Parts: sequence; C-alpha cells; structure tokens
Amino acid sequence: MNHTTVGVIGAGRIGRMHTENLVHHIPDAEVKAVASPHLDEGWAEELGIPGRSIDNSAVFGDPEIEAVVITAPSGLHCELILEAAAAGKHVFCEKPVALEPGPIEDVLKATQRAGVLLQVGFNRRSDPSLLDLVETVREGRVGDVHTVRVTNRDPKAPPIDFVKRSGGIFLDFLIHDFDTLRFLSGSEIVEVYATGGVLIDPEIGAAGDIDTAMVTARLANGALAVIDASRQAVYGYDQRFEVFGSAGSVAVNNTTTSTRVVSTTGGVVGRTPHDGFVSRYREAFIAELSGFLAAVRGDSPIVAGAEDALAAVRAAVAARESFNQNRPIRLAETAPVAGEGTTA
Amino acid sequence: MRTINVGVLGAGRIGRLHTENLFRMPGVRVKSIADPYADFGAWPPEGIETGIDPSLVLDDPDIEAILICSPTPTHADFTETAAAAGKHIFCEKPIDLDPERIRRTLEVVDAAGVKLQVGFNRRFDPTFSRVRQAVIDGDVGDIHIVKITSRDPEAPPVEYVQSSGGIFLDMTIHDFDMVRYLTGSEVEDVHAMGAVLIDPAIGDAGDVDTAVTTLKMANGALAVIENSRQAVYGYDQRVEVFGSKGSAEAGNETANRVTLSNKDGVGSDTPLYFFLERYQASFVAELEAFFASVRDDREPPVGGRDGLMSVLVGLAAAQSMAENRPVKVEAS
Repeated sequence: MNHTTVGVIGAGRIGRMHTENLVHHIPDAEVKAVASPHLDEGWAEELGIPGRSIDNSAVFGDPEIEAVVITAPSGLHCELILEAAAAGKHVFCEKPVALEPGPIEDVLKATQRAGVLLQVGFNRRSDPSLLDLVETVREGRVGDVHTVRVTNRDPKAPPIDFVKRSGGIFLDFLIHDFDTLRFLSGSEIVEVYATGGVLIDPEIGAAGDIDTAMVTARLANGALAVIDASRQAVYGYDQRFEVFGSAGSVAVNNTTTSTRVVSTTGGVVGRTPHDGFVSRYREAFIAELSGFLAAVRGDSPIVAGAEDALAAVRAAVAARESFNQNRPIRLAETAPVAGEGTTA
Repeated sequence: MRTINVGVLGAGRIGRLHTENLFRMPGVRVKSIADPYADFGAWPPEGIETGIDPSLVLDDPDIEAILICSPTPTHADFTETAAAAGKHIFCEKPIDLDPERIRRTLEVVDAAGVKLQVGFNRRFDPTFSRVRQAVIDGDVGDIHIVKITSRDPEAPPVEYVQSSGGIFLDMTIHDFDMVRYLTGSEVEDVHAMGAVLIDPAIGDAGDVDTAVTTLKMANGALAVIENSRQAVYGYDQRVEVFGSKGSAEAGNETANRVTLSNKDGVGSDTPLYFFLERYQASFVAELEAFFASVRDDREPPVGGRDGLMSVLVGLAAAQSMAENRPVKVEAS
C-alpha cells in the first residue's frame, strides 16, 4: 500500500483523537510528526510517532510530510493553513476554519495558488448513516426535496470560557447543521430566520450567547429547512435528520452504543444515545481522514472543502444577524463583502 | 346517568362521524339533525328527526346540547343562536376566521351562561395526552423545544383552499392549539416561511402547501411546526417536547404492530391514512368530555378562548409569511 506521510499540528482532545485514528485505523497513513505547545510526549511516543515537538516547524519544515492535520485552537486555523500551503502541504483543518467569510476566502485562494488540497472537518459528511440518507435522496427515492430537518443537541453545555471565545452558538455549534442542510439537500441556503433563548444556563446568556436555537431556512431549490439545537440534552447526544419530499421521506435516527432493552413493570427502556460526538461519529472521524488521504493520492475528491466552510460560515453569520435583528436575513445581504455583517 | 338530548347541525363528513359516535355513547340521545344539503335517504337510522332547516334543532326546547358541524361561515351564527336559546354547544373549529366576530360570539355565550367546547380533537388523542401528562408530571422538566410534524396524506381540492382561510387557519390551526396544549403556555411571536412545492394551483389560489413556522412561547420555550399538504406515505403526525430533564416524543401510529423483514429491508405499514383513522379515539373522547362538562356543570376542557387564540396565532402566521418578518400575536 502507498503510504502518505502526515504531520499533526495541535494535540488537544480532537488532535489526539485524529492522531490515534491515523495510527490505529488508517493503514495508509504514516504520522511522522506531531507539534503542539503542550505536547504529551509519552502519548506520542506510545503511538510510535518519531517527530515530537512544541514547534510547528517540526511539521512544516519536514519535506517528507505531504499532508498536515490542523487541530490547533480555532483562532490559529487560518494562519496555520497559510503556513502549510506555503510549505506545499495538503491540509485537513478542523472546523471552524474562521468565524467570518473573509479569512476563509483568503485561505481558499492561497491553497488554490499553492496547488494544495484543503479539506474541512465536517465529519457528518463521512458518517455512514448520513451518506446512506444522501444517496437515498440522490437516487430520487423521496422525489423533489420539500423540507430538510436537523436536530442537533449536545449532551452537556460547554464551559463558559469556551462560549466566550467560540463565536457563539451559530458559529461554533450550528455551523455543522448549516453544512448538513447543504449536504443533505444538495442545494444552497438562501435565507435564514433564527430565534433562540437562554433556557439552560443564565451564565451563557451573561456571556452574550444563547443555549437554545431554532433556524428556519429557505434553500435555492425551493425547499424549506429547520434546525433545532440545544446545548444540553440530558439523555445524550441527539442527532437526527430527515429529508421529506414529493415521493416520501428518509430519516436518520439516534444510534446507541448498545441495543439492550429492559422491560419491567416500570416500562420498557433502551439505552440513551451516544454521550458525545467522539463516539457517535467514530466511523465518520476515521472515514473523513481516510477520504482526505485518498484525495491527497489523487484517488478521489475531497469530502468537504473551503467552499463548504465558506458557505456554512455565511449561513451562520446570517443566522446570528437574524437573531440579533429579529428578522429573516437573505445571505445575499451579508455575503458580497468579506467580513461585513458581523457584529461583536 | 342523566340522558342529554342532542341536536346536530351539519351532516357532512364530520357531522356524521360525531353522530355515529354519539349513537354508541351512554347518556346521550341524538334527537334531530339538520342540514340544508344532506340526503337523509339512507342515513341516519329511523327514529331521528331530520330536516333542512336549522330551527329544527335550535328551536327545540327538548334539546339541551348541540353539535355544530356545518361549514365554518355558519359557526358563529349558530353558536350565538344556540347560546341565546340556552343550549350547550360543541362547535367544530374554527369558530370564525375573524377574531372580532369570535369575541362577539364568546360574549353571547358568556352572557347566556352555556358551555362551549371547540373541536380541537387532538388534545384528546391518547398518545398526545400522554405527552402532555409527561410534561405535567415534570418528566421533561422545563420546556425548551416543542416540535410538531403535521403532514396531510393528500392536498385538498383547490376550491377548499380558496375558502379555508389558507394553510395556517385550516391546517396549522390544530398544531397551534397543540403547542398551547402541550406547553400550557401562550404563543408570543410567530415566524412563518412557506413555499408552493406540491401543487402550483394552490399557489395560484394564494396559498402555500409547505410551511415551517417557529413560535416563541410566553414561558420562553421555542416551538417549530412543519407542515405539508401531501405526504405520500400517509398522515404524518408526530410531536416532541424537549426540556431540561429529557424529552417526550410521539411517533406515527399504524394499523398494526407488524415488522416485516426481508432481503430488501425491515419495514412496517404506513401510518394510519388520515384524521378519521388516526384520531378515531380522540373524536369519541372529546365528546365524552363535553357531555361530562354539561352533566357535571364544569368548564369544558377546550373552550372559546382556545378557539380564539388559535385563530389569532394563525392570522399572525399568515401575516408573518406575507410580510416576511416575525409577528407578535395579538392578545386575546
């Protein structure tokens, strides 16, 4: 098998997960170096990664490394992509690439000029159930798409520190859902209306964010869509999807780690959904990197690119504006000028 | 149990359904049915007076309670006349499409001191009642999100759409009432987005056939209603209430509980076809509740104010879609 040499920038929770997937589950990947300011040397050594550094040049400066996985803090994503592109390396970058369209447009151009690939971590695009759903839609089995529905509820609200710098619920959380609407419908988001509230934790409100949100969207193909999102579903990570059309509907429900069902006088009780994205999207996280490496070798197109990141961020920014102004916002209102239409 | 004499106005589909249910209900006797257009040749069975003039029912001093199942434009008039005659009233929704007219009618009802129940049958569906019970029991905690899926199996004739008041007043009105019922809270803000995706003739008639409506409730909860005039697989009626302690969800009901597995997949029959099948039990239960209210001199569980509120929300939704902005719901 043809090996692709990979470097990882950032070894936080997501970085370690991706690295472990590369080492354990993706046979055609060879992780040569990992760089992170707070690197756990023992962890990297145990994985058999030869290059271990607190300095990114261990990755960017190594001519043998063809592809870079960027899992550093979000605020650094764009500059790291630019650095990787300058070094001629293909890039897989976690979402969000940036919290506004302008910088994403810049990295899109830079990677194109450098002739390197840029894949974005929209993991749901690699989920077997969602791929199955999309194939069903593409085969025409639900007919023309009329409505698309996404339920996205985290098991536990994030720490307030995260909320303060995340860009808010629309950019750090619903960003996945905006991409999912595009992925499931095969169409573009034209208009959004967002409503929401602080129903879980007043601290989130004090930090200037909301914890419960609902977004209605109109798509270019005429379909309507709705996202309902919550920072905290006490029963687990609630991820459900439905596409309804002229010939029927197709849905993806929650999955569980076990199919055990207990029936007693008190009722019939099954397991709760997964406890978070790491376990719910385990296969997707492996498949998205596997797909990225296949694209690096020229075997297939990338799964999600900078254009997708851009479209999702535009929708998220429009949703935030819609919420702030309490009116529907057409993406065309905010899109043409990079960075405009964003408020603090 | 004391027997209550009942008269029915309107012998169309819903009038016949209610009347048939009354035949099997203890403590109730259907005395007469009036409908200017009905052919009473084959129905109802002998022993029930029939006629084309509503006075047959409204002027009969023996009749204690009436069911108004006639076309919507007659509801307010019949309700007022029946109230003035001291009769208790079960009226199909909506009472009227004009809130002012509903308010006047409710004043007449109040002055007469008679009971008025509005036909929001879904509140009496055993499945949705169980969801409401879970809310009351605190099983879902504070309510954060309510989701309603409400799709008809087939689009109505265009002539119906032209006189119905549009999707928000003829279809979503049930869902507005369901959100109020499930949350026990009032709708404050409405935003509706609609599209014509099923039948261009519906668009030509000035209506939409697909709609997504979001609501902000007085208790802070958010609600979303997804409507379609046509789900080819049957009547799609699902609700979910999500809150701080969990969620309560009701899926579709099928005629049986069979799962068929073969090499092509694992499947069941499609949902019960339409409201007559899906809400059969609720139609009986709503009338039982009405007659219990009459008999025990209690307020009916769904009153005139509920009829008014759902219309006010429906009008706000129609305005929201027309003006493409969120609209505040007028106070009752």
